[in-house]
Amino acid sequence: MNDFLIILIKTCVIYGGLIGAAALMTLAERKFSAWMQLRYGPNRVGPWGLLQPLADGVKFIFKEELCPDGANPWIFRLAPILSAVPAMLTVAVIPFAGDVTLFGVDCGNLSITDLDIGTLFLVAIGGLSVYGVILGGWASNSKYSLLGGLRASAQMISYELSLIMIILCIVAMTGSLDLRAITESQNTGNPLSWNVFSQPLAFVIFVIATFAETNRHPFDFAECEPELVAGFHTEYSSMKFALFFLGEYCAMIVMACLTTTLFLGGYSVPFWEDAPWFIELGSFCAKAGFFAFLFIWVRWTLPRFRFDQLMHLGWKVFLPLALANLLVTGAVISLA
Amino acid sequence: MVIVKRKTLTLAERLYLPEILRGMSITFAKMFKPKVTRQYPEEPLPTNEVTRGQPRLRQLIDGNLACVSCGLCEAACPAYAITIDGQETDRFIEREPEKFEIDMLRCILCGFCEEACPKDAIFMSTELELAGFTRASLKYDIDKLKRTMPELAPRMDYIKRINERW
Repeated sequence: MNDFLIILIKTCVIYGGLIGAAALMTLAERKFSAWMQLRYGPNRVGPWGLLQPLADGVKFIFKEELCPDGANPWIFRLAPILSAVPAMLTVAVIPFAGDVTLFGVDCGNLSITDLDIGTLFLVAIGGLSVYGVILGGWASNSKYSLLGGLRASAQMISYELSLIMIILCIVAMTGSLDLRAITESQNTGNPLSWNVFSQPLAFVIFVIATFAETNRHPFDFAECEPELVAGFHTEYSSMKFALFFLGEYCAMIVMACLTTTLFLGGYSVPFWEDAPWFIELGSFCAKAGFFAFLFIWVRWTLPRFRFDQLMHLGWKVFLPLALANLLVTGAVISLA
Repeated sequence: MVIVKRKTLTLAERLYLPEILRGMSITFAKMFKPKVTRQYPEEPLPTNEVTRGQPRLRQLIDGNLACVSCGLCEAACPAYAITIDGQETDRFIEREPEKFEIDMLRCILCGFCEEACPKDAIFMSTELELAGFTRASLKYDIDKLKRTMPELAPRMDYIKRINERW
């Protein structure tokens, strides 16, 4: 009973944190984009505009729900759910901190579950989110949505390949699919044992592939405003659109967390091996926050690629590089 | 035939990443620059006597309007925004407006009424803000239009100055 309660509380806390972080990120996106363009950004709702996501949420709820003529009503309603849920599910395996002791109760690790196959679970469930995009594009009965959905699925599938190859390198180095084991192998108190220093090329490819995987600039061909109006969610309105939005931001946060876990030692604190759990959590949030900021930073810096350039980059540059990286990693491991 | 010479890129440029980092450093530096946005309701636009805002009627010191309801501004108005009904009065000027109404939704702030007025009775003020919940509430009558002399004085001086040129 007690275990069940602890898991329930952890689930609530982590999902509450995720949704809160996603809401905060929509605000951060607007704030940082404004600052980079010498504007102020939203600053009217609450102090420094901090309550803007709340106002946006209320606005979304009161908007009219539209379902276009000829759209498949069931798939049309299913698609936003399929887009948001996998992104939120994947956070279950991310280890945010080590052992937590709160009010004298040992609450175990700060992650919803420590799956032995955490990495596999993350990749498998994360791969499902492509269904949300393509079903949303197809069920809308609109040419823009269909094209956006097609492009997004092509892009996500091709970049997932190099993403998985890179994850495989890390898994081979650690010898475990468990994300906590991957973190612990880097948690030696010495930042040089972080995987980013042993796998710099993999790190660069991974970060760029996450941009494509989450449909973010400079690879946001799913939306691609000048060509496709708004891509796969052109026909969506109200909370259904908000769900797509939420899914996108949750996916970004999960990807930021994953990058942190795989390459920056997860919750490990530099030069402090046995840090208390809240310091570890702070360290994790700082690292993941940097990558979340990177998503925004790059979006407001770079123009969009051309679709053929994206495919060229994915299949002819990243995939061979990732494969070669895996080959060299395997060779080094087997020789050592 | 025009042959466009492609710039030969260096290795660093072909790798994209160094150039991307350069671009990102620029956007990062921009985040700390002073902002150019004007926070409108708190920081209104500066106005001066040249500002051509909404037309207002000049009030004489005794509280009556300077207007003699000649109808020249009504005739000059290209948007048909002005409606005047005149009436007789015991004052020296003999005629005064019974009703002087400007439909602010029609007014295009052209300033023709000000130019047409022979009695210096209507002037473009510095008031720019216009908002209301009904169309009827934006048809301004005499009570809403009249302004005292000191309020319109800078504009009157300015108009006098440019009219003296010809």
